[in-house]
Amino acid sequence: MSLVARNALIALGITIAISGTVAYAVNYLNNARVSELSAIEEQLSIDSLSLETQFSLLESAPCDSSASSVTLTTELADFGSRLSYAENQLGSDNSQVIRLKERYSLLEIRDYLITKQLAQVCRTKPVTVLYFYTNVGDCSDCDKAGYALSYLRDTYPALRVYSFDYNLDLGALKTFIAVTKVKNTLPAFIINGKHYYGFTSLPDLEKQFPKGALATTTATTTKL
Amino acid sequence: MLAYPFLFIAIFFESFVLVTLLSKPAREARVRSLAVSFPSVAVIVPCWNEASTIGATCDSLLALDYPKDKLEIILVDDGSTDSTREVMEQFRSNSQVRIIYKENGGKHTALNAGIAVTNAELVGCLDADSFVEPDALREIVSCFYNPQVVAATAAMSIHKPKNILQHMQNAEYTFGITLRHAFASINGLYVTPGPFSFYRREIVNKLGGFRYGHQTEDMEMALRIQHAGYEIENAPRARVYTKAPSTIVKLMNQRTRWISGFLRNILGEYRGLIGSRRHGVLGMLILPSAILSVASGILLFGLMLFLFARNTFTALEVREGIPLSYAFLPHGTFDWFYLPIGFYTLITIIVLLTSIALITIGRNISKTTGGIFVGLISYTFLYGLITPLWLFRAASDVARGKRRSWRY
Repeated sequence: MSLVARNALIALGITIAISGTVAYAVNYLNNARVSELSAIEEQLSIDSLSLETQFSLLESAPCDSSASSVTLTTELADFGSRLSYAENQLGSDNSQVIRLKERYSLLEIRDYLITKQLAQVCRTKPVTVLYFYTNVGDCSDCDKAGYALSYLRDTYPALRVYSFDYNLDLGALKTFIAVTKVKNTLPAFIINGKHYYGFTSLPDLEKQFPKGALATTTATTTKL
Repeated sequence: MLAYPFLFIAIFFESFVLVTLLSKPAREARVRSLAVSFPSVAVIVPCWNEASTIGATCDSLLALDYPKDKLEIILVDDGSTDSTREVMEQFRSNSQVRIIYKENGGKHTALNAGIAVTNAELVGCLDADSFVEPDALREIVSCFYNPQVVAATAAMSIHKPKNILQHMQNAEYTFGITLRHAFASINGLYVTPGPFSFYRREIVNKLGGFRYGHQTEDMEMALRIQHAGYEIENAPRARVYTKAPSTIVKLMNQRTRWISGFLRNILGEYRGLIGSRRHGVLGMLILPSAILSVASGILLFGLMLFLFARNTFTALEVREGIPLSYAFLPHGTFDWFYLPIGFYTLITIIVLLTSIALITIGRNISKTTGGIFVGLISYTFLYGLITPLWLFRAASDVARGKRRSWRY
């Protein structure tokens, strides 16, 4: 074998080794991301269950409890951001991403229901937004709507935004969609029970909120 | 996905260079000692309006550590219209210097005019904007102790780089030192650059002298030498410094000439070399890689521009109507989870780091003095962005049959 052929073979071996190592490292990092998401999801499940349990235990005076679902909602939002990032990295058809999205949707529904129950019992008026989007097909307005909601949520921390992938194959979500009677015209919003479809601009979306709901000083913080 | 094959090839190429550097022929070349026997040598300096630099160039040649009776310096004024002639005349009294005046006909005619008046065993060229270290010629001459070698190249750097563009070129030239040293050890060179390349005179004459070569007579001559089956060596410690274009326009013009010359030569008269097993690594690996690098440079840059434009448009569209204080400021805290590390990013970083390592190796092999830090920084952040400009311009010129003037 000539010197050049030998060198070329060694170089090919090095190239394959480097590419393989990089692929392994990236896969390892992505697995670590999924593991982190799973850990957060597990913790959120416990927190959510704990809140439900506290609510049941203190049925007579749930509003006096120091337990708060605000923290849970904030953590849920963080989980949603991470999940969204992981979805971009791994692809929306990744089985682990889909599984975590399903769990996330369940946690959101559960948190939404608890919030609703607490609001009734404690006579508070939290502003909740149910936001339905899709990754399937061309929904360029979904990206705009998602970003606008992120802005609103970051600006008004008391705002409770729950986002759902309309096409996610999850029984509870399908039932939730049926119960809330949201149509497949995306993006779709249910702001404090009022339906709103499509996204044109942030001011137009803001108009759909109850008066005073987006004032930072008079935010309707849920107090338990 | 389109970029992955090119990145894979880039890693393979750099690995191949590293492995070749560690191979026996390259190791032996690095310990080659200075010439101890001295064949007659003529250094031809073709000039066209080089009044500002020819004096210093000639001074550096006269300071070469080589027997005076064996070294002839031939200054060829190729019809200059400035004061080149007056500067040349200052060296008239030196017995080593011969001066030729001729009508303007291009660099290749100036070189041939110099070759025609000498009987020296070895003839070399030094561009009139370049300067040599005293021991450079002895480094070069020792390459010719191998009878198979008919040409030898030096190790080039930028003369006193001042601005960021020149520092970037200095790093690029240092990278070139490594590549030239590695490829010479397996006879894979296809350019004998104007600054201080030498040839056996009888072979140059046998091959018919220098040609126009699509404004790249040094490349054309090297390709002709390779085509004829001869060997081209490299002296990695033969230091030569050359002036570099100081503006982006001048650099664009210079590189457009180089790349279009390469494409015209290699896709024209010398296309038979591509894929030729008879010409070994040059035909099977180096020339195909060089062509691929031109294509990939244009393609990847186009792809990058497209993605950048698309992402910018999407980002602006999504942020429309959102207060600027939120839309264009970073949110959240640092978290490893959001590290933007993917396959493409990591491979690109590896290719870049290996390039930096090869530049550093080139600097050490050639014993180049002076700092390289600014060069590495500018090379890392600037080179990849501007190279595609002249690659595209050169490819476009070749495709449209457009020819530009030599001067920049």
